[in-house]
Amino acid sequence: MVCLQLSNRQSGYISPVIDLAKYALIGTLVVDVKEKGWVMIVEQIGASTIATVTETGQFARFIWRSAKSSVSSVFRGKTWPLVFTQMLIIGVKSVPVIMVTGAFVGMTLAFQAYDQLAGMGLGEHIGILINLSVVSELGPVLSAVMLSGRVGGALTAELGTMHVTEQIDAISSMGTDPVRYLVAPRILACLLLTPVLIVYADLMGSFGGYAISVWFFKINSQAYWQFTAYGVTLWDVMVGLTKGFFFGAAIAAISCYKGFNCKQGAQGVGQACTEAFVVSFIAILALDFAAAIISKSLYSIFYPIRSLI
Amino acid sequence: MAEIDKDSGIIVTKDLTKVFNGKAVLEKLSIAIEKGKTTVIIGPSGCGKTVFIKHLIALLRPTAGEIFFKGQRIDNLHERDLGKIRMQMGFLFQGGALFDSATVYENILFPVRQHTNISDRRQLDEIVKSKLAVVGLDGYQSYYPANLSGGQKKRVALARAIALNPEVVFYDEPTTGLDPVRSDVINELILKLKKELGITSIAVTHDMTSAYKISDRIVMLHKGKILADGDAEYIKNHPNDTVRQFILGQVSEADVAALRVSGTKFASQFNPKDFEE
Ligand SMILES: Nc1ncnc2c1ncn2[C@@H]1O[C@H](COP(=O)(O)OP(=O)(O)OP(=O)(O)O)[C@@H](O)[C@H]1O
Ligand SMILES: [Mg+2]
Repeated sequence: MVCLQLSNRQSGYISPVIDLAKYALIGTLVVDVKEKGWVMIVEQIGASTIATVTETGQFARFIWRSAKSSVSSVFRGKTWPLVFTQMLIIGVKSVPVIMVTGAFVGMTLAFQAYDQLAGMGLGEHIGILINLSVVSELGPVLSAVMLSGRVGGALTAELGTMHVTEQIDAISSMGTDPVRYLVAPRILACLLLTPVLIVYADLMGSFGGYAISVWFFKINSQAYWQFTAYGVTLWDVMVGLTKGFFFGAAIAAISCYKGFNCKQGAQGVGQACTEAFVVSFIAILALDFAAAIISKSLYSIFYPIRSLI
Repeated sequence: MAEIDKDSGIIVTKDLTKVFNGKAVLEKLSIAIEKGKTTVIIGPSGCGKTVFIKHLIALLRPTAGEIFFKGQRIDNLHERDLGKIRMQMGFLFQGGALFDSATVYENILFPVRQHTNISDRRQLDEIVKSKLAVVGLDGYQSYYPANLSGGQKKRVALARAIALNPEVVFYDEPTTGLDPVRSDVINELILKLKKELGITSIAVTHDMTSAYKISDRIVMLHKGKILADGDAEYIKNHPNDTVRQFILGQVSEADVAALRVSGTKFASQFNPKDFEE
């Protein structure tokens, strides 16, 4: 009741949509309380808290094991063929779809930005806007999202099926550590290839933007590149590519974890794939946000010596 | 029974207990498995036979209790340190667990490639050929598991389990899904491995003919405990009703009663209308 009054008092300046959401939330809670009683609710909250904490701990342990195996795999000749196979599956076959993503991003940006910039008489500055957006944000993030669907989904489904059909147990039973054999090569391949794929996305984005700006809106080509060169620094490109390493590692680690821990049955595998995608997606956005903060503070540290890099 | 300690056999469990979701599948199971002998584990479906042998190779970890291999405690070992121990073991999974993205050839070579540095093509071919010949599948090297029958998969999985000539082999229902002749070939194989290489075998089976033929000792699990333990003769003449009914494949009075209680005749459950669209 207190909540209801509260929201009534505030409804003057809170949008009706939020109000509606609140009522819905309170409504379900009230129904829940009526049906199960407070003790049950508290129990439920406690149980799901414990489950979340346990899962987080498990995930952290998995990450730690995978990181150790990945690092030691780098120095083991035997793992390299596995890494190359994964690179072929993960990387090479993603190139077309990544290039298409990049091209559309560039073209759309150019199309939407032109009118506004031209209205202010800044039409020729469009190169900065397109290339900066593509190189530092849209290229890396959209490529990563694309990869978490294309690669993450396949990884989870493959490892999930292997888990369900006891193939992962079979690897253990033959004295091989499945994390080293299955996870490390996938993480390494993803980690090494995501930045490369981002380069493709960047190039295509740049080209798409150029095509629309210069061929369609008839902007002077030289001006386009001049402003781009002025506005986009090597630093921006490097930040974008560095993010790729983290995105790649996160996608592979999350997808492998979900595959290794998927529930039995076809539904279990499907659920694991969905979860892997959602968690990867959120991880990408969170990492991107963290990268924005870190790169900004690094930039201000390195600003005085930026002419050297 | 004499007190079991960690050196009583090649594999020893002490008070092994496993609880799944609050339900005890294994309860304080203590057993010592003798080196060079074949131990057969029988018991009703779902009584925990698979769970039990998975503990012996540390694929599952006990809720309580200890497991020893050659006097060394293994149930608390780190995955990394288990590698050396598992190399001495072969495990035939109930469902085969072949790698479905690899050919029969690559499946059998998996442990070989992982643990040896043999890279001579001719030598590797020879290993695969000999292992496949043992299970009667030479010539199937280039097949994918999806193109094999259930029984063939089982046999390839067996070939893979013995690829490194392990000291201990676990068989989870080696003859299920095979025709009688092929089953007997597997029986002969287990006997041969014991005689020639002194391999210790632990087999789970429902096939009593096979159990009598291969076993030096038969252990019956029931409700998480050992209900009967002895050689084939002893088990055949076991006084306990549950054991006798199990080995003779008879339905117990309780099961018949359950069928009767569920009551309604099957014929009366549906009428033609139910199937009209
Ligand atoms: N991972 C698991 N999680 C929860 N319960 C499990 C798990 N594995 C096995 N169980 C339970 O343990 C019990 C024993 O299973 P197990 O597979 O060992 O049976 P089994 O004796 O091998 O039967 P079968 O002869 O049919 O193969 C079953 O009741 C099963 O539900
Ligand atoms: Mg079983």
